[in-house]
Amino acid sequence: MSTRTLCFELGVEELPAGELKGMALSLESGMCKGINEAGLSFEHSKTFWTPRRLAVVISGLQEAGEATTSEVLGPPVAAATDNDGAWTPAAIGFAKKQGVAPDKLIAISTPKGERLGLQKALPGKLAADVVPTIIETAVGQIPVSKRMRWGRARHEFLRPVQWLMLLFGEEVLELSLFNLNSDRLTAGHRFHSQGTVSLERADDYESVLKAHHVIPSAAEREAIICSEVAALAEEGETAIIDDSLLEEVGGLVEFPVALRGSFDPDFLSVPREALISSMREHQKYFHLEKADGSLVPSFITVSNIVSSQPDTVIKGNERVIRPRLADAAFFFATDKQTSLSSKSERLTGVTFQGKLGSLADKQHRIKNIACAIAPALNADIDIVTRASGLIKCDLVSDMVLEFPELQGITGAHYAKHDGESELVASIIEEHYWPKYSGDTLPSTPEAMTVALADRIDTLVGIFGIGEIPSGSKDPFALRRASLAVIRMALDSARDMPIRTLLSAGSEQFDTDQIANETVENVTAYLLDRLPAHYEESGIGVDVLRAALETGSDTFGDIEDRLFALVDFMGSELAESLAAANKRVANILAKSDAELGSIDLSLLTENAEKRLVQALQSVSEDIVTACSTGRFASALEQLASLRDPIDDFFDQVMVNADDPALKRNRLTILKQLREQFLMVADLAVLAR
Amino acid sequence: MSSLTFQELILGLQRFWGENGCVVLQPLDLEVGAGTFHPATFLRALGPENWNAAYVQPSRRPGDGRYGENPNRLQHYYQFQVVMKPSPADFQDRYLDSLRSLGLDPLEHDVRFVEDNWESPTLGAWGLGWEVWLNGMEVSQFTYFQQAGGLECFPVTGEITYGIERLAMYLQGVESVYDLVWSETPTGTVTYGDVFHQNEVEMSHFNFEHADVPQLLNYFEFCETEAERLVSLQLVLPAYEFVMKASHAFNLLDARHAIGVTERQRYILRVRTLARMAAHAYVDSRARLGFPMADKDLADAALAQREKSEAAS
Repeated sequence: MSTRTLCFELGVEELPAGELKGMALSLESGMCKGINEAGLSFEHSKTFWTPRRLAVVISGLQEAGEATTSEVLGPPVAAATDNDGAWTPAAIGFAKKQGVAPDKLIAISTPKGERLGLQKALPGKLAADVVPTIIETAVGQIPVSKRMRWGRARHEFLRPVQWLMLLFGEEVLELSLFNLNSDRLTAGHRFHSQGTVSLERADDYESVLKAHHVIPSAAEREAIICSEVAALAEEGETAIIDDSLLEEVGGLVEFPVALRGSFDPDFLSVPREALISSMREHQKYFHLEKADGSLVPSFITVSNIVSSQPDTVIKGNERVIRPRLADAAFFFATDKQTSLSSKSERLTGVTFQGKLGSLADKQHRIKNIACAIAPALNADIDIVTRASGLIKCDLVSDMVLEFPELQGITGAHYAKHDGESELVASIIEEHYWPKYSGDTLPSTPEAMTVALADRIDTLVGIFGIGEIPSGSKDPFALRRASLAVIRMALDSARDMPIRTLLSAGSEQFDTDQIANETVENVTAYLLDRLPAHYEESGIGVDVLRAALETGSDTFGDIEDRLFALVDFMGSELAESLAAANKRVANILAKSDAELGSIDLSLLTENAEKRLVQALQSVSEDIVTACSTGRFASALEQLASLRDPIDDFFDQVMVNADDPALKRNRLTILKQLREQFLMVADLAVLAR
Repeated sequence: MSSLTFQELILGLQRFWGENGCVVLQPLDLEVGAGTFHPATFLRALGPENWNAAYVQPSRRPGDGRYGENPNRLQHYYQFQVVMKPSPADFQDRYLDSLRSLGLDPLEHDVRFVEDNWESPTLGAWGLGWEVWLNGMEVSQFTYFQQAGGLECFPVTGEITYGIERLAMYLQGVESVYDLVWSETPTGTVTYGDVFHQNEVEMSHFNFEHADVPQLLNYFEFCETEAERLVSLQLVLPAYEFVMKASHAFNLLDARHAIGVTERQRYILRVRTLARMAAHAYVDSRARLGFPMADKDLADAALAQREKSEAAS
């Protein structure tokens, strides 16, 4: 079987670094999928991306696929010949359409009876024939976040396309896209290589580009950056290489060369976060730390050339970072001229949300909510009060206006400068935590209280004015806020009913400011987020539903039930109890009889006597267990009812002819069901 | 090689782009916030006609004034603007050649095209492209126009905007814009400060403290009605001048903090509405002339398309 290597490269004007990987991987999977679907096999595929190219190299690609046969079905055999045994028009028509004589047709049995048909031999497809179309489709399916046109043509891509290189072994396959024709020509490095580069063999793709100062493999570029950056750290220093920055920097160059520059150590008096942000967000620099974690007054930039004068590049970058750091230092100095608390006046001028007032209003509400819930979280109310009067003040500081990502951190610096306690400062910083799923929770009860209060205010307020998130629209990040509330409540306010938490928020608004049913709506929204919260622990939606059916609205209580259920589930015992519950629920649902209490005198069968007895003997323990949150123990008690229940269904006729008997038996079932429902609705878990 | 003076830099860019097929124009004699407002960019980007031009445009951003005290911020500065329509396939290469012509060797300096998407809310315009980094410093904006005045741009105009003070500061190695050498003359060195410092100081006072708010508010209204009236008279270019004047009046009012946050958004929308109106009227006026500067096939297609949509409406 002969095979060759296929190499396709889409040459482009610089694509945005953040999109390269997704686009290249899509191109690769599109091509591999198309090749598989064409019945061709290959050994290996590899994908490459740089700012100026997306490429896929597929090695060991079959030149021709295996021949196959396919069955073509015609009319039923019964309808193929008439009474005289002659071919019917249906049969003749089918044979003609297939280009064969009717005599060549055979009978093929199908699930729907015998059909007239034929076996057709299909020659394998030739890679050279099908690949161009496959690539055309794959290119069309590359995700393009924002489409643009260029020149005087109608086609669109993320940036203008400059060339198509398509080689199968040594042969150019013809492909026309974006008004360009494929060729064996590519381009080397924008500055270190002149003119076009001709590729003789697809196998040489990577080595030829490397010879022309392009490292096509992103992983290799990242490895080079890592080692060069690390090598620029001096004794006692560590270069901090963040994965996302590394990927971004790797997507900005074809030939990475790391260079180290420095800045005036005087800038180190500025909060390190501001310095790092200036270096990282604006300039894509890596920073360095000493062993004690302090910042080194240097940066590492990754250039795209082997400069004839590296010093020019270093000095140039130093010139750029200097005014940025000077800005940060200036903001830091001016902000500190007034106290953080004095900035709270300016919060009145900043809108939080049109109908929900200013940031001053929000901060005031947060304070009231925090004070209301503080006792439940064992937080010191004086400290909570002090801190929540300051938490949003840094939002009007020059520093945060320039570096929005430094909200909270900046406030903490300024609070310490004003002589506030470490705890108050840390609350200001930590009340934004957890910032994302999996992020750390606030570290003190006081910070937790304020963080929770802030989220409650946002959820209640935004829901209250009808801005409910839908689909991909969630401008106030309420989903994230909800998951944060769930985590914090489970950690620190396990026993506080959700409605109580939220009411502390809704009470801060005038009655006409938010909708009446806001607390109910937000409660439902939070409960709906629980599957997302428990997704990672592998707790299924049905188990969650079984616990929620009890109507519990306290996160800790719900979780206790959940964990008890998870331990209980999976046993044969659990399955049988779940099935019994479902059966009971169905029977009860069909009946509309008024049920009172069990009439012991009407118990006729042994099985029903035993069930009632068993029920009565466990009921007190179950109530006690549930009221103290020992749901596992309650489930154990309920499990002891299994045999009596099974016997009951085996031996007792619920739908007895005597209406009094029937009603009494339904009453037994209802009480049984109520016992179970104290823990969870097992019926939901029945298979 | 001694570095280029400020005026040599301008002359060099004019020569370079003149030799690259651009009509070298002179600045627009009206206050505008950026070279994009010049009719040679905004209006010429509309419709199917070809157009290649280069020019310096003094740009005024009243809110950016710093009383001549900040070495990097000016309320009046220069942009060097290049527009090529349709955008040529080698537009990036030509830009790099222009840097080489100024003595910037991309094998010495690290030149990078970094994603930047441009949008002008007041002009109802957007495009995709890059900011160009020279050793980490943004020295140019590079944009492929997709829409202007709410209309699709076809063919696409490629636009390059050089921040020439920045570029000159880099080439001359000075830390303050006021230290830039504008020109070496027989009677001595003339700096950017000699030419513009007093202007920065006085204009900052004017912009921030003395611009007459009630008059400007009236003037904005006047410009708005005037633009509408002139469009109805099919006097498109005068109408567009009033759009630019309205825009500048708004910028001054903004610098005076005379417009609240929500009000501000409404003003931007009003300017955009005017820009959109002028854009439509401009394309209509060119269509009446038969799009004389367009490739024949594109002119015919555009005219046919217009006929079809007129018949439909």
